[in-house]
Amino acid sequence: MIRWLTAAIFFAATFISGATNAQEETSSSTLYGDLQSVTQSMLARAAGDGNNFLHTNGNYEQTRFYPASQINTSNVKNLRPAWIFQTEVVDSMETSPIVVNGIMYVTTAFNHAYALDARTGKQIWHYKHAMGPVTTYCCGPNNRGVAVSGDKVFMGTLDAKLVALDAKTGKQLWETQIAEPELGYSETMAPSVVEDMVLIGTNGGEYGIRGFVKAFDTETGEEKWTFQTIPENSVGVWATEDATGRNMHRDIEAEKAALAEMGDPYETLGGGVWQNPAVDLETRRVYFVVGNPSPDLDGSLRPGDNLYTDSLVAVDLDTGEYVCHLQYIAHDVWDLDAVSPPIITTVKNEAGEDVKGILHAGKTGHVYVHNADDCSLIRFSEAMVPQEDMWTLPTAEGARMLPGANGGVEWSPMAIDPNHRLTYAINLHQPMTYTVRSTPYPEGKLWLGGSFDVIPDEEQWGNVTAVDYDTGDIAWQVRTEQPMIGGILATAGGLVFTGEGNGLFKAYDSSNGAELWRFQAGAGANAPPSSYTVEGQQYVVVAAGGNAQLNFKRGNNIIAFTLAD
Amino acid sequence: MRLKPAAVALIFAALPAAAAEDFVLENELALCMGCHGENGVPSEPDYPIIWGQEYFYVYTQLRDYAAQRRDNEIMSPIAAEYDRDQAKLLAEHFAAQVWPDIQADLQEGDQQIAERGITGGQCSACHGKWQGDSRIPRLAGQQVGYLLKTMLDFKNEVRMNAPDKISTMKQLDDDTIAALSRYLATVDVQ
Ligand code: HEC
Repeated sequence: MIRWLTAAIFFAATFISGATNAQEETSSSTLYGDLQSVTQSMLARAAGDGNNFLHTNGNYEQTRFYPASQINTSNVKNLRPAWIFQTEVVDSMETSPIVVNGIMYVTTAFNHAYALDARTGKQIWHYKHAMGPVTTYCCGPNNRGVAVSGDKVFMGTLDAKLVALDAKTGKQLWETQIAEPELGYSETMAPSVVEDMVLIGTNGGEYGIRGFVKAFDTETGEEKWTFQTIPENSVGVWATEDATGRNMHRDIEAEKAALAEMGDPYETLGGGVWQNPAVDLETRRVYFVVGNPSPDLDGSLRPGDNLYTDSLVAVDLDTGEYVCHLQYIAHDVWDLDAVSPPIITTVKNEAGEDVKGILHAGKTGHVYVHNADDCSLIRFSEAMVPQEDMWTLPTAEGARMLPGANGGVEWSPMAIDPNHRLTYAINLHQPMTYTVRSTPYPEGKLWLGGSFDVIPDEEQWGNVTAVDYDTGDIAWQVRTEQPMIGGILATAGGLVFTGEGNGLFKAYDSSNGAELWRFQAGAGANAPPSSYTVEGQQYVVVAAGGNAQLNFKRGNNIIAFTLAD
Repeated sequence: MRLKPAAVALIFAALPAAAAEDFVLENELALCMGCHGENGVPSEPDYPIIWGQEYFYVYTQLRDYAAQRRDNEIMSPIAAEYDRDQAKLLAEHFAAQVWPDIQADLQEGDQQIAERGITGGQCSACHGKWQGDSRIPRLAGQQVGYLLKTMLDFKNEVRMNAPDKISTMKQLDDDTIAALSRYLATVDVQ
């Protein structure tokens, strides 16, 4: 089957080109700060850095816990906008602002990147990627931001490239073609940088790709290693239950027969990785979650467990070699995959001892707590959203099951507060029907194998949920008017910040969920917030550009808040 | 419906010379313009505008017609004459043209009905503001008659080259599809 695909991927093998002048950039203004280069030691110590925000999810452990407390439960009511920056692109924004020494880097839909003075919002430079003719995106022309290291800024693009920019000027230094865009590969995630490696996965689980995580050289863009998320033997153990012990109603006999007839489906099995990995420098491992199998709803063309889709996976940081995995849903036919970035933190194991753990929030609505040693599951939380009729198989007419295909928790990163030992997740409740329609691999075009459709008459809503990761119990929960997508930030000031599709950006007391502050951002605040401190003044910043997938009002604002005098 | 090979061969024979060897872009364009218009306005209300359409979309449609993944009595035999490179040249040409202005009118209530359909079908996840991008076609300002036909073709399993659209369209009643066609035809081309 589909032998040409191997060849096509071979020919599309990464090529490197030097600096081109195809992109546009503008430089102006006097710079604040010295745009000092970002050292590995700064990146490694980010969790305790109360000035900068150096990683998409705060630090290598991805806790999104910001260690400063100038803005706190007692004064957050005085939080006011310090400045608003409007980008050139009015469309979905999912960027996590990165702040280095008073300079902020943000990105927009269609791969624009900006450097701003983080005190004033004044533009320093603007880079617009010269997009190739073939781009792919299932869910909006999104970008989730940059990674910084040395004097470079890195961004992945919708035409499946990785670009390196000069942090001072925004000039492109190099670009690398990561994979073949005609086959459905593209990039929306922010890359991660460790030492001399830029780590990045791929989108394309809706297009029959074969997923991967790759490491590229920060200086040259050359590939250092690749981990294929889909092994050549993707069959697994014929699991009949999901990670929580519920029967998935697989017809194993039929699958075995299909396997004998069509062989292992690994070449077009999907398994994108489009959120950042958590990095453990101590054990030199990276932990990431792998997305859904292709085609999403039609299991008949992909017999077996479809390893390592819908899984937590750990690989060796230096070689990309497999270390361990845990599959949440084998042979998923609901697109209820694993997306929200994993977090490394100390958790209690079954015996009540502190161990290094990994947290992940699923579209299923559970927070999963793993042992970092071997990826095994210690516990899973109470469901954060209604679950009904799990697991009902998709039908030709459409079968209702909750949660809907967006979750639970979508790509939205969680944040934790290690003092409260709570993890904070934002959820969707969107009742849907699951319909299956089998069609052959369409050569890189959208390939869902059916559809998930919102049930128009049923109410939709969202929530912010705090889960005790030592017990799996829900500590508090606040309902929101709309399904939640974007992300959340926790701070040492006892606060969590998160935004909604209706434009409301809110601060809650992280110990009990009491709402302490709100601001109307004018467009959907559906991006993960960051925080930083410049000249002794703490700020919280969020992008408000709405969301394409949920059709929340689009905008183009980056809004930074600080305490009124 | 699948044309029998013999029928396909007949249509081939009747077509102007377009064999891969003697491909001359101008000659082929003259053929296209007979239906898709001299100035971008198609000759029939249910023929699509392709002037200013997205390059990669035009290219994939020509490939799909040729392979009969999108099976159409008129377009499949035409597209089958071109190899990949020729299809790319045609696509490049049309993508570089200016989208024409056409007249379309909304009926009362269309806006609300259309928006409900759009939210239910999660259309904006891919289609955004309907301007098209790469593999996503521009729908803003497309001909009402063609939009209606192609959406109904999805719903009725006539157009098969974007199979996921089939179940999406099956969720929409015909009145909603008609309202959507008028709505999309009146969205401004940016
Ligand atoms: C005899 C009339 C006719 C001719 C000649 C013709 N077309 Fe078409 N074309 C159509 C019709 C009718 C459709 C819609 C068919 C369908 O519903 O699938 C169409 C559809 C298309 C589409 C798909 C548009 C979309 O929005 O999906 C493309 C692309 C296209 N034609 C390109 C061409 C090119 C290039 C040529 C010349 C080489 C050409 N056509 C010649 C009638 C014609």
